[in-house]
Amino acid sequence: MTATSKYFSGAKKSHETHHDEEHDPRELLMFDPKPRGEMNQMVMESMLTTSWKFWVVLGILAFLVATCLVYAWGYMIAEGLWVAGVMRPSYWGIFLVNTVFWIGISHAGTFISAILRVFKAEFRRPFTRAAELMTTFGLIQAGFSIFMHLGRVWLTYWMFPVPNARQLWPNFHSPLMWDLLAISTYVLGSTMYLFLPLIPDLAMARDRSTGWRKTWFKILALGFRGTEGEWRHLTTAMNIFAFAIIPVMFSVHTIVSWDFAMAMRPGWSSTVFGPYFVLGALHSGMGAVAVVLFIMRYTMKHMDYFIRKEHFDALGKLMLIVTFAYTYFFFNDYIVQWYGGDRWTDDLLHWLEEGPMAWMFYQLLLFNLAIPALTLWNKKIRQTPWLLALIGLLINVGMYWERYLIVPVMLTINRMPFTWKLYSPRIEIFLTIGTFSLFLLFYLAASRLIPLIPVWEVQEGQMTHSLRKVGKTHVPTISEFE
Amino acid sequence: MPDATLLALFEDIDPAANAIEKLHEMGVTDDNINVISGVPITHKMLGRPHPWTNVSRLALGGAVAGFCLGAFLNYGTPYLYPVSVGGQYITPIPPGMILLFEMTMLFALLATFLGVFLDSYFPNYRPLEYVPEISDGKIGVFFRTPSSDQEKFIDALSNLGAESVRPVEAQQL
Repeated sequence: MTATSKYFSGAKKSHETHHDEEHDPRELLMFDPKPRGEMNQMVMESMLTTSWKFWVVLGILAFLVATCLVYAWGYMIAEGLWVAGVMRPSYWGIFLVNTVFWIGISHAGTFISAILRVFKAEFRRPFTRAAELMTTFGLIQAGFSIFMHLGRVWLTYWMFPVPNARQLWPNFHSPLMWDLLAISTYVLGSTMYLFLPLIPDLAMARDRSTGWRKTWFKILALGFRGTEGEWRHLTTAMNIFAFAIIPVMFSVHTIVSWDFAMAMRPGWSSTVFGPYFVLGALHSGMGAVAVVLFIMRYTMKHMDYFIRKEHFDALGKLMLIVTFAYTYFFFNDYIVQWYGGDRWTDDLLHWLEEGPMAWMFYQLLLFNLAIPALTLWNKKIRQTPWLLALIGLLINVGMYWERYLIVPVMLTINRMPFTWKLYSPRIEIFLTIGTFSLFLLFYLAASRLIPLIPVWEVQEGQMTHSLRKVGKTHVPTISEFE
Repeated sequence: MPDATLLALFEDIDPAANAIEKLHEMGVTDDNINVISGVPITHKMLGRPHPWTNVSRLALGGAVAGFCLGAFLNYGTPYLYPVSVGGQYITPIPPGMILLFEMTMLFALLATFLGVFLDSYFPNYRPLEYVPEISDGKIGVFFRTPSSDQEKFIDALSNLGAESVRPVEAQQL
């Protein structure tokens, strides 16, 4: 459609005449429209163009999944949990660190897609799907990590809401049942939320594919054509999802935090653990999105058109805001425990600052608080994709250490000093590599099996943007189509 | 009686809206017009009647069903086999709120998703009237008209800026 080009025409001349040094709106995706057919072609080419490097990386990841996840987990199931490092006093080890970490990663998708959709933040359009995929794939890893922690994974059905042979139902007031319900709701909700906006793009891919891909897209597109009724049902559902998934997102990580906060244990018993965990989740999730966008932009064809410096800039601003909020809750949690004067909490805090895991604690402060807060002020840094991705990666390292300190380390320093023994992971290391590999493998496969860019949303955005003449200049204007 | 389907393809919204207005003037009712596009275009832009959707009602129904199921699991199942521990309440309210919330939201979301399928008749793999140019950004106005009047409609819509006006048959997507 040429609607945007029509509104745009003449604007460049004005800019060139009056303010050569001024920011050119054409640098922004919404003011640099291409015909829909061309954008479709670009997205299809990005899906279909595969180099030998892709297959090498795919092969390595598949090998890691086969050995570190499938074989190692099978071995643990056959041998029992003794092959893992969990033992008194740290019964919760890396499996739960990974669970919390992956649930955290999953928060970015919902945050970017749902909250920014509700507030009509236009920069979200090209990368909502990449973020939503992160939610679904992250939650799958979180689910695997919980099942690993269960040990006797074949008894998972004990938690299902059905009575046992004596007609005794599960205890729905247990935090473990809260986890099951919250994570199940979030997995199902976020997967449906991923699929709904994907349908029109699957239909687009169906129209341009042949062979097995045609069959694949035809099945997934469900017969979508784009009738008025179909759009109406779809947009209504997406609006409902956008609003409903937000409290679900908040509830999930709050409930995960309650697994810890409900216990009277030094370091855990905290009333701000709920929001502190939610902010931590957003912190790591936003960082992970920056990494994914960087990889997409530099490894997939034509992605530099859809994912631009403006998107990294906007993401960087969000990361900065989340950093401040996270810092606030971190300090709030820390100072209340420090000021409380409880002897065991004092011991724990001193141990974090001076003990053998102090390096982890200081890296946490550096990567999660200091580096993002000091660097993301700078626009040039925010607009440099590799730098923002690096900061995002460091945030994730810091957030992983934070979860490590909360789970096994805080279990170590308890009210019974004779049990203090530092946790040493064993098979957990392989399983962790396996889950990370599976996450990347899913992403790699998705990049070739579904359109990662929501083309119809980008086109819709470009149709609503125009430049309006105000006095001697043209200002960006957004129309409300709904 | 209408007995043929014509497709008029448009590049932009304005000529498509004008064409629909013209079709109304020429006696084609809204029931015999269907607009298909690659992006959501509101009924107001096209001068079309408000399309009906049951999705929000189904979502509400799902939420109510989820709440009821949550209430049963929370406050019903403990009494099927009461286990009293330390004189505490068998069905305390605060921890039950979590189950109620999650079940309400889960069923609301499931019903919303199902609503799209029901209202849109998904999945639908039968032959349908469609052309791939629509996902390339064109707006397709499909309308049913008597075969004898086809030429009249083709001329009228071509004059209003249609890229092409032609008879179209259902095809396998």
